[in-house]
Amino acid sequence: MKNSIKTRILSGIAAAALLLTCAGCGSAPAATTTAASAAPAANDDSLEKVMSAKKLVLGLDASFPPMGFTNESNEIVGFDIDMAQEVCDRLGIELVKQPINWDNKEEDLNLGKIDCIWNGMSINAARAEAMNLSDPYMQNEMIFVVPGNSDIKQIEDLSGKTVGVQTGSTAQEILEAWELYPNVTVTALEDNVTLLNQMELGFSDAVFLDSVVAHYFITSNNKDYYVLPGNLDAEEYAIGFRKADQALRDKVQETLKAMKADGKLAEISTKWFGSDVTTIK
Amino acid sequence: MAMLEVSRLSKSFGELTVLKDINFTVDKGEVVAVIGPSGSGKSTLLRCVNQLERANGGRITVCGSDMMTTNEKGKAVFADTDTLRSIRLKTGLVFQNFNLFPHMTVLRNITEAPTVVLGMSKTDARAKALELLKKMGLEAKADSYPCELSGGQQQRVSIARALALDPEILFFDEPTSALDPELTGEILKVIKELANDGMTMVIVTHEMAFAHDVADRVVFMEDGYIVDEGTPDKLFGEEASERVKQFLSRFNNFGA
Amino acid sequence: MTNEQIGTLFQLMLQYAVPTMKIFALTLLWSIPLGMIVALLKMCRFKPISWITNIYILIMRGTPLLLQLIVAQYSVPYIIRSDICPEFIRSALGGIDIRSEAYTFNMMLIAFVLNYAAYFAEIFRGGIESIPKGQYEAAGALGFTRSQTFFRVILPQVVKRVVPASSNEIITLVKDTSLASAIPYMEIMYIAKKQVPTYASLLPLFMAGAFYFAFAMVLTVLFSFIEKKLDYYR
Repeated sequence: MKNSIKTRILSGIAAAALLLTCAGCGSAPAATTTAASAAPAANDDSLEKVMSAKKLVLGLDASFPPMGFTNESNEIVGFDIDMAQEVCDRLGIELVKQPINWDNKEEDLNLGKIDCIWNGMSINAARAEAMNLSDPYMQNEMIFVVPGNSDIKQIEDLSGKTVGVQTGSTAQEILEAWELYPNVTVTALEDNVTLLNQMELGFSDAVFLDSVVAHYFITSNNKDYYVLPGNLDAEEYAIGFRKADQALRDKVQETLKAMKADGKLAEISTKWFGSDVTTIK
Repeated sequence: MAMLEVSRLSKSFGELTVLKDINFTVDKGEVVAVIGPSGSGKSTLLRCVNQLERANGGRITVCGSDMMTTNEKGKAVFADTDTLRSIRLKTGLVFQNFNLFPHMTVLRNITEAPTVVLGMSKTDARAKALELLKKMGLEAKADSYPCELSGGQQQRVSIARALALDPEILFFDEPTSALDPELTGEILKVIKELANDGMTMVIVTHEMAFAHDVADRVVFMEDGYIVDEGTPDKLFGEEASERVKQFLSRFNNFGA
Repeated sequence: MTNEQIGTLFQLMLQYAVPTMKIFALTLLWSIPLGMIVALLKMCRFKPISWITNIYILIMRGTPLLLQLIVAQYSVPYIIRSDICPEFIRSALGGIDIRSEAYTFNMMLIAFVLNYAAYFAEIFRGGIESIPKGQYEAAGALGFTRSQTFFRVILPQVVKRVVPASSNEIITLVKDTSLASAIPYMEIMYIAKKQVPTYASLLPLFMAGAFYFAFAMVLTVLFSFIEKKLDYYR
């Protein structure tokens, strides 16, 4: 969904500013605090901690339908949330949905504000480095959407046109690697919904985004959009845990497998996507 | 009895010495006018005596209490805070620019110090303030704000404000200099009335006719020194020193 | 969007206008007195205190409030993890639950208060320094103590002089409270941003905008009334 370059810069600035604010402490916070880079330790008590606290704190941005978003009554709902709720029910613990600032998600995870990031998060190298990722649970394609009345009928027609994309997202990285990228003008904005609104108003000709988001919007809002055939790249969603929290990660993974096996996962997937799109084996 | 005794007083601002070896006494009931050219140190003398400036050497005694002395090493030694405060209450000061409190009514300008500093009851302070205002011919202005008054009226309020603390000695720092010429008369009249009531006063002024008229004694200052002093008849007459005559010759009405 | 949806949305937004006003009111409650203290510290004749105060004001005015809000959020866990942090500080901070709502709110409030106190301090200092020296001299000659002079003579005049600049700052605060949504703290801007994808519409943002506008409008009217009230003298 989004990458972590911004986070790196931000945590650097935050650390520098902290240096100034806690001048009383004398010097900079130790560098080791930034990443939980320690190898999974033998005394990994991550699962016991969660089980004894009787809650799993799930960090999310809460504006990514249909994975995890805020509904009309300000409740956090979505496919990821239903899935996580079922996992917690089976473990006999409470699910705490903690909204976070997506830009600082690695900080919130490593500093212990949350136990996992579970919010349609795409796998990329930087995240695999910074977190202990679950197995991918779902595939996502990156697709182009155009207004229903557009002349653009296939990807090649986009040459010379303007394409909107979410800033700091994996979508943006994929778009930049595309062979036609030098021929299109890119407008980058903070969220996909604004991008789609802007496309309707004529600011751009097409929007490049996650297929799950696009399909959910088109069906839930009756939008007259056209999805161009074909896609640039497929990516996969995973759940992020702290590097050291191997036991917790394995327990969640194991529970998901059981849910796949007994059909519960297919039921949740059908509710949101019309069919079982999960890739857990 | 001496209300104010100043001896060997000196004051400098950095390199600039503005008061040199000032010796000066004011007796009870006496009215002293201090005259002299601008920059001669008249105002600084008043400010030192009123604790707005700290002198560098010499001795100041007000109503028998030492405000400052000089030790054998030549260093100025000031009285403790309580003594300084009690001395402060025995002296009143009227400024050239009135310095009324703009956010208070005329009445409150006068009652504030008696109630806050002396702990007088509000009713007593109010009665006293109204009496003083009546004396100043301003009883109708009690509830006005200073900005609604003329300069002369403001200066009369500030005199009433100083009198409200019943000072033993009242100082005036060029009380008419900020006023239009037609308004100086009303202030001079008030000061004259105070003199008739027996108030001890030291008046720094450029109004030579007034100094001659109201003062028991006139002090002439120049370049930080007291150059000459004596009765008005002496200083404004033939006996005065050449320097004084030269200074006075600049004022038409006292042309020699 | 149907009328029913708009009604639901409006009620939700109204509900989260309360936390916005809570940030606003508590920030003012603490930052105005603190700003007064900072102004006096800056004018302190003991130079090191004045310098330290200056550095504080420079940092607060020279860095974005958004960054300060984020730094405040992460300060406690970072200090605890820092190698050079003395043990007594670590144990004192160790009891803080960084997952609690109280922590999020209090750290956010500290950042708002420290930031606004710096701005208020500069306004107050300007106000205090604009009072003519003659006012201090007149008060001194009448026997007022230093604190009596400050509270009875100087401060009331400073209040009148700082009202226009302060009202400007206070109205800016109304809008700055929206930065809390980045923490994230659930106030009106946060809700608006989260409701945009829900309805696939920008209406929530417009509603938030209308709320800020109405709030600022009320304050504008209030301050012009106060200014008129204080206009009884020049």
